[in-house]
Formats: sequence, C-alpha cells, structure tokens
Amino acid sequence: MKENNSLFSETGRESLWKRYIKDIPDDGYFLTLSCILGALYPGSEAMIPKVYDLFGLNWGTNPRPESGWSCCSGIAYHGDIMPIEGTLLTVARLWSIAQEIGVDTITMSCVTSFGIHCECRDLYENEPGLKEKIDRLLKQSCGREFEIPKYILHTSDVFYHYRNQLRDNFMKFQLIDKKTGTPLNVVDHVGCHYSKLFPEEHSLGGSEYCEVLSGMATAWGGKEIDYPERRHCCGMGFRQCMISPNRAGTMASVHKKMKSMSPFQPDLIITNCPGCQVFLDKEQWAIYEITGKKYFIPVLTYQEVAGILMGWDPYGVVGIQFHTVPVEPLLDKIGTPYNPSEAWLGINKRQVY
Amino acid sequence: MTKTMKKFDLKNQAFPGQETPGKNGSNELPLPDHIQDIKDSCPWFQRDFNLSEKDREVIRKYLDGLTDDEIIEIYYRMRDKKELWDGGYFYPNLQILFGTPFEREKDRREQKIWNEEYGESEVVKWYKEAKEKPCVWWLENHIIARHSLNSCMSCGACTALCPAAEFLDYNPRIIMETVQGKNEDAITQLLKSDTIWYCFQCGSCKTKCPRKNNPFGMISSLRQLSQIKGYHVYSIRGRQQYAARHLWGGNLWNRACTLYFRNIEVKTHRDFGPRHELCFNHKEEYFRKIGACPDMDGLLSGRKVHPETLHELRRLWQAGGALYLWEHIEDSAKKQADESGITIDEYHDKVKTEG
Amino acid sequence: MRVLVLGGGITGLKTAFTLSEFDIETIIVEKSSEIGGKVKRYDKIFPDFRSGKNLVKNLIASARNSPNITVLENSTVTNVAKNNRSYTASLSDGKIIEVDAIILTCGFEVFDATRQPEYGYSVYPNVITSMELESFLNPEGPTKGKLLRPSDGKVAKRIAIIFCVGSRNMKIGNPYCSRICCSYSTKQAIEIKENDEEAMVTCFYMDIRTYGRGFEEMYQYAQEIGVKYIRGRVSECSVLPDGNIQVRAENTLLGKPVQGVFDLVSLSVGMMPCVDAEELAGIFGIERGKDGFFLSKDDDLFPHDTSKEGVFLAGSITGLKPIRDCFLDAMSVSGRVVSYLTDLYKNR
Repeated sequence: MKENNSLFSETGRESLWKRYIKDIPDDGYFLTLSCILGALYPGSEAMIPKVYDLFGLNWGTNPRPESGWSCCSGIAYHGDIMPIEGTLLTVARLWSIAQEIGVDTITMSCVTSFGIHCECRDLYENEPGLKEKIDRLLKQSCGREFEIPKYILHTSDVFYHYRNQLRDNFMKFQLIDKKTGTPLNVVDHVGCHYSKLFPEEHSLGGSEYCEVLSGMATAWGGKEIDYPERRHCCGMGFRQCMISPNRAGTMASVHKKMKSMSPFQPDLIITNCPGCQVFLDKEQWAIYEITGKKYFIPVLTYQEVAGILMGWDPYGVVGIQFHTVPVEPLLDKIGTPYNPSEAWLGINKRQVY
Repeated sequence: MTKTMKKFDLKNQAFPGQETPGKNGSNELPLPDHIQDIKDSCPWFQRDFNLSEKDREVIRKYLDGLTDDEIIEIYYRMRDKKELWDGGYFYPNLQILFGTPFEREKDRREQKIWNEEYGESEVVKWYKEAKEKPCVWWLENHIIARHSLNSCMSCGACTALCPAAEFLDYNPRIIMETVQGKNEDAITQLLKSDTIWYCFQCGSCKTKCPRKNNPFGMISSLRQLSQIKGYHVYSIRGRQQYAARHLWGGNLWNRACTLYFRNIEVKTHRDFGPRHELCFNHKEEYFRKIGACPDMDGLLSGRKVHPETLHELRRLWQAGGALYLWEHIEDSAKKQADESGITIDEYHDKVKTEG
Repeated sequence: MRVLVLGGGITGLKTAFTLSEFDIETIIVEKSSEIGGKVKRYDKIFPDFRSGKNLVKNLIASARNSPNITVLENSTVTNVAKNNRSYTASLSDGKIIEVDAIILTCGFEVFDATRQPEYGYSVYPNVITSMELESFLNPEGPTKGKLLRPSDGKVAKRIAIIFCVGSRNMKIGNPYCSRICCSYSTKQAIEIKENDEEAMVTCFYMDIRTYGRGFEEMYQYAQEIGVKYIRGRVSECSVLPDGNIQVRAENTLLGKPVQGVFDLVSLSVGMMPCVDAEELAGIFGIERGKDGFFLSKDDDLFPHDTSKEGVFLAGSITGLKPIRDCFLDAMSVSGRVVSYLTDLYKNR
C-alpha cells in the first residue's frame, strides 16, 4: 500500500492501530447469529457457515436441536425492555451451550451482540459476586452451568484472520476496477459497539483507526478511504430506528455520513454491523426521496464482499437483491459476471414477478 | 480439539417430529389456508394502525370474551400448524400471528400466569424494593449506574460527537451533571422528560470520557428506573416503550429473537425504497433461495425456534426480571389508557405512531 | 564538599551555580550531548516573553566558567553505593565519583501525542504538537517564524490549539494537570496573533489554569487581541479533502456540540515523568507516586528530601513546574543541601 497523499499517513495509521491487537484462535468457534442481519440480508448470514466450511473449521451452533442458539437480547437491552440481569442470563446460556460443545471461542455475526458479550464479561470482571448470582439463577431456571469464555470474537475478526487465505485460495476477483486497473475506493464503517465500547480489549485496531474492515478491504485489493465522519454513528439507535416516528435521527446521521464521504468518491461502503448495514443502505433511498440527492453508494457486509470476490452467485448466494442501493454497478466495476434477469427469480428459478 | 461439533443442518432432520419430505415436498409456498379465509375478516389479526372504531370494538369484544386457556390454546394451535415446503416444514400462521392485538393479549395473560407459576426471583425482589426507594438510591445501587459514573468534570467530550446531541435537544454531559448532583427532584424531572429517550445507545461517549465514565450506560440505567417508577409515560418518547415492549418483547417471548424477519413491513418502512417492496412481497421465497429458514424449523434466519429452547429462555427472562418490567410497562400503559378513555389496543397504536 | 547534580536542565544548572556560590563543588551529569535542557529551545517564555534561549545561554556560561562546577555530558548514573556518610556513584562512561550528596534534577518528558489517537497526530500532517508549534514560531526555526502548514506549505490562517492533551485523562493514566500548558498555549496564541493580525486562533480548553503571577493577565491580553477560547474538550480531529482539519467539541457554556474547520491544529501536550524515572527510582531506592513523579519525604516540610538520606529532589522531577518555579526550587534545594552538608561536616 503506497502513501495515498500528503493528507493522510498510512504509516502513521498503521503504527496507531497496531497498538490494539487481539488473539484470534484458528478454529473451534461457537457461532451465534444476528436478528437484524438475518432479517434483511440473509445471504450475509448464510455465508458465514459457508466460509467456515471452506477452511474445514470445527464450529457449531448447538449440541442438540432442542438447545439452540438464541438472540442475545441485546436490542431489547439497549431498547430498555430487558433488565441487565435478563441479558446476562441469556448470554450465560449461550456460553453454557458453547461449553457443552467444548469450545471457548464465541463468534457472533452481530456487533450489538459482540458489545453485549463484552459488556457481560466486563461486568463479571468488575462486579464481585455477580458470577455467583448469575450461576445460581441460571442453574435454578434451566439447570445449566457456564464459564466466561476465553475468546469473544466478532465474525469479522475471523474473516480478517483468514483474509489472506481467502484471497489466495478462493478469490477470483479483486476490489480493483477491471477497466482501469486502479483499486476501488473503499469506505469502512465499523459498528460502534465493535470499536468504541472496549477498544483496548476487544477491538482489532482500536476505536480511531480500526483495522478489522479496512484490513480486509486492502488485502482484497481496495484502497482505504479516510473521511471526516468515518467514526460517526450510523444513527441506528435501537429505539430511534425501530419506532418509526423516531427514525428522523437515523436518517440525519446517515445523511451526515454520506455528505462527508461523497467528495472522496467511494465505490463501496463495507460494514461489519448489521444495524449500520441496514440503515446506511436503506436510508439512502429516503435521503433521495426527501432531498433528491442520489448518493447511491453500495453498502456491503464483509461477507458479501468476500462472496462476490469469490465469484459466488450474486442472487442465489450473496443476495444482492436484498439491497436498496443496487450493487450491480459495483459488480460491473469488479468484473463479476451476473445475469440481471435472475435478480427476482424465486426458488429453482421460478418466476415470481 | 478432538470433538467435532454439529454443524448447520439446513434440512432440519434432527428436529422432533421431522420426517424427510423427499420428493413430496412442494416448491409452492404453502398458503395459510383456513386461516387465510379469516385473515381479512378478523380484525384481531390486523396490524393496521388505522383501524376503524368498529373494528377496534370487535377486537376488544372478541379478546375479552376468551378465557386465558382459550386464547393460549388457540395461539399455539395456530402457531404449530405446519406444512411441507421446500424440503422442510413451514409454519404458515406465524406471519399472521406476529404483532397482532391477539398476540399482545395472549402475551399479557400468559406472562401473568408465568409470573404466578414461577414466583419472584431474587432479581425481581431487588427491583420491587428499588421501586419503593428514592431515585438517588437506585443511582448508588443499580449495577449499571454504579459502574457508569466515577465523577464528571463537564468537559463535553461525550457531547462533542454524540449523534443525538447533534440533531436533538439532548446533551449527555448535562444528564451526567444532573445525576452527579443527586437532587431527587431534578432526577425525577429528568426521568419524566423526553430527554433520556433521545440517546442512540451508540457508545461513542464512553470511548471519549477522560474520567472513564460511561454516559450511555448511565442513560440505560435511568431508562430502566424511569420505567420501574412508571415515569416514562409522562413523555411522548418515554411512552413509546409500550410499543417497544410488544415489538421486541413479543418477538423475544414468542420467537426468541428481538426482531422477526417480517417486522420490516413495507407499509411501515416506506423509506426503505421500492426494491425493499420487491423483496418483501416474496420474502420467504427469496429467503429460502439463499438458504435461510423463513418460518421453518432450522437454525438460519427467520427460523421457528425449537419449543424447548424457547421455554428455557422464557424461564431466564422471568428470572432476570424482564417479565416484571413488562408487567410494569403494561400497568402504566393501562392506567394511562384508562385515564384517556381509550382501549389498550388504541393506546398501543397511538404511542407507536405519535412523536 | 562535593555534590552530584543529575540532570543539566535549568534546575540542575541553577542548583549547581547556587551551590558554587557557597564554595561547594558540584558535578553535573547530563544524559544528552549538551546541557541546557528543554528551555534552550524556546524562543520566548511566559509570562514576560523573554528569550528562553538567552536565559539558558547565561546559565550555561556561568556553569562552564565556574571553577566549582564540572560538567559531564553524554553520561548518566548507573549505580550508587552508600558509604558511611558519602555516596560512590558509577557513571555510564566508566567514571566513579565520590560525593557527599546527590540532587536529582531530571525534569520531565513531553507527552507522546500518538497516545491520544483521536487527535490524529502522526496520521494527519496538519495536526502538530505544541513543541513543533514552538519551533514554527521561532524566527531561527525551520520556517523562520512563519506558520507554514506541513501538508502544502501554505500559511496557516485558522489555527486551533487543543489544551489538555495527555493531561487530566484517566484513560491514558495521566489524571494530573500538567500546570503549564494553559499558559504556554496562551503565550503561543498571542505570538501567532502578534505575528499575523489576520490569523484566527481558537483555543479549546477544559478550564483555564493561568494561576501564576502575570499568567492571568496574559490570558486577559490574549482575549483582548482576539484569541478565541471555547470551553470544551476536543473529542476528535479528522481531515477534510483539502487538508483542513475538522475539530469536534462541545461548547459547554452554550451546551451545544460544535464543529470547527482549521488550517492547522496544535496539540498542547502535557508532561510525563522523565523516561528513566523507573530506572532511577531503582538505582537510588526512592519512591514515586501513582502519577510516576518522585515522592518527597514530606511535601510541605521537607519538599526536597527523599527517603534516602543525602539524596534530594528539585525541579519538575516532583511534578510539573513553570520555569520560574524551577529556579525557586533550585535555590531552595541549595539551601537545604548546604544545611545538610554543614551538619554532615560538623559531626565529623
């Protein structure tokens, strides 16, 4: 990676993010999935097990069908209808399942969930007697026991860990403009609850120059773009986005980010947080309706970027039809083949429209 | 590691009562047949906020006429009706039940029964005692509040990049100042105001505080307190919690997930654009195409949660105080609805759409 | 009577000079290649804008000319052994010297601004530290006194000065106030303004602590000539496409978040204990406080004494001091050491 210009020092950034590194074990992952990601971008969720299997990893979600993974209740906690004890217990149950499987690494696809797991661990470390209390309640309520897991990873940590192997062994394309041969401009948007809650302990690269996404983007051929509102919250805001009258704050935050990044001509935004992914993508339409401004910058999860670069079916596996901002222009730049007439076909290519 | 873990089983063979549909499995999406007939004519399965007065009356009369056992029995009978589809079982009625006045009424009654059956956990006892104590006591004792404030020097680093402070009449620094002041009246006033409900819970403030405070954690704790005390109904933003309790609470209680993949209905999410409508209208088809489990047994998105998993979680939420909190939100809402002379169904729709 | 003075900055030099006036022989051991410390780099010092360089030049000259003072540069103490009444110190260049007392005047270290990455120092070229600003303001410095911003060499017209970088921050383990930053930043703001009337200088502060005689008047003067002060800790700096720096803070007096755009941002870095503080504490067997600075036997009654008899402290080694307080400390430690030596020799 060359120094891009005189305004932003890549080497300076590198020396800063390298102060925040974390251990990422190679294998043995307990996987929990996201409420939001699965609801809006099911392809991103389904690609996680697919990528784990590419590397032949030992991973799982449940030891028995009747004791499955569940939501971490994080949205309910940050949406204030779940007391912290309820969330501690929900997470303790997940940890208990992981231990039943025999692993000490939890990987979750959701950043809210990641924040919640880290928060729970932090509370156990700083509140004497809490572990015993939750032990007691968990045992009484469903007969389970749990230990605090050794590693709490976001699935983007795992993708980061395997980024070079993904590129070298599986990727057919790069984040490079096929026509001009220049790297695509990639804007990263790291979820706040990934990078800001426990930057020292849990964020790969810290909160200011978080590495987890831009590391993937640059490894896969793209160029990292730094823009003023890079770390600004997307505005998802739990109750702010999900109770419709409050959503203006969400739109305003997305608009602020769009205004700030557009002078840098980004080709895509890469996210690791389901909530950010949804609103950075969806609200671009609302901004267009309200202001007439066509930002229409494709917003993709890191799984989707990986899937596209590996040449997986954009509609049948990656699921780009779920995006509000069309992803096809990006596919054109990368040079991935796709058949636009398949976009809205159903199962077994059945016509549904 | 020697042990090999169980991976996703998209065909869901391991589920009880599951059989291999094989070639008999249909590719046509099963319609919720007998229910389909009553769906349009039964207002208690309507999620429309603009119901007529007459429909609302019909809903109430019908729901009030059901005994607890009846409503619970009907709900689960409907929920568990399944049909073979695309290599698995599809539960066609889930999409009819979710978020309806019927489901809300079932949840109210069922949760009351759970609370009676399993009694008060130590967590619930603590919250009950806390309710009777001054707000300042809460701030000194609630686990989240205690870990969220060391001392504040009012430097404003939290507010500087707060997304809510930028667009709304909101300032986390002033909230921390108020909390630090430990004045019961000032705190009560804060809990009754819209202010605390503006926070986005993004956590940007926590990273920046030079005194290692956690403003968004404190606000989370204040919101819990506001609801325990019943002060949230004094503000428009606060009383939205009634809608939240049924949106997220209903999803958790019935589907073990704070969001259900059908929540993003087109009519309430017009800002998501026309492509969203294209997807949403054939959601289960597209979900299945990509390998997800829309209203099916399974582990990927949109799945129907295994009943035993759901039961375990309900026990945890009961023990963890969630049912106690929901009951409180319910009582405060009922009281306010009665005072305004509207039904609880109207109240729900009102708080979900006003502001 | 012979005293080892460890550290040849202003405190060490003034201490040695004062002791020499009592006919006490001193050996100044200085780690760097030249005595004079940090002040010799300052073109102007507050509150009276006299030349720091000249001040130190005179001190150096008196030290070099005094028959009682020996200067050992590029040297440090690696070991000390207490004899009956004296100390034997081994130096890094192999010399071994015997002295009656030791005075530690090792000063401080400037905070490393990359430890607060939210300000983008080392990533955005137009974010500089106050030390760099000081050299920009120096007519004999690299820019001949002009404020040329690093990214494109244009003259900076809008300058933000961010106070409390590395100070009053529990997150990075520096809870203390560095005491001199408010004043030196105000001094720099005045210099910018006096050099270029059109320049706009905005200072982001948490509290203005211009506590010394003449310091507050300097602050008042800065405001009179148009330096803007905004009460709010800066949360973040980021770069705009043209290289300008966007600064976010809350104007806490208005209760509103503000965003400013500046050509150049200077970080008023605070102070840290000297880099070899831990090592020195080990060599001399003396204690440091939680903040890393050295502890005196009693802050009020014996501010220069340590837990080891015959080892004394002066200057910023016990916490940050402005230049004039360092001089006072130098003279005060001399008095204490003279009385100690008198006692020591009386009892012989």
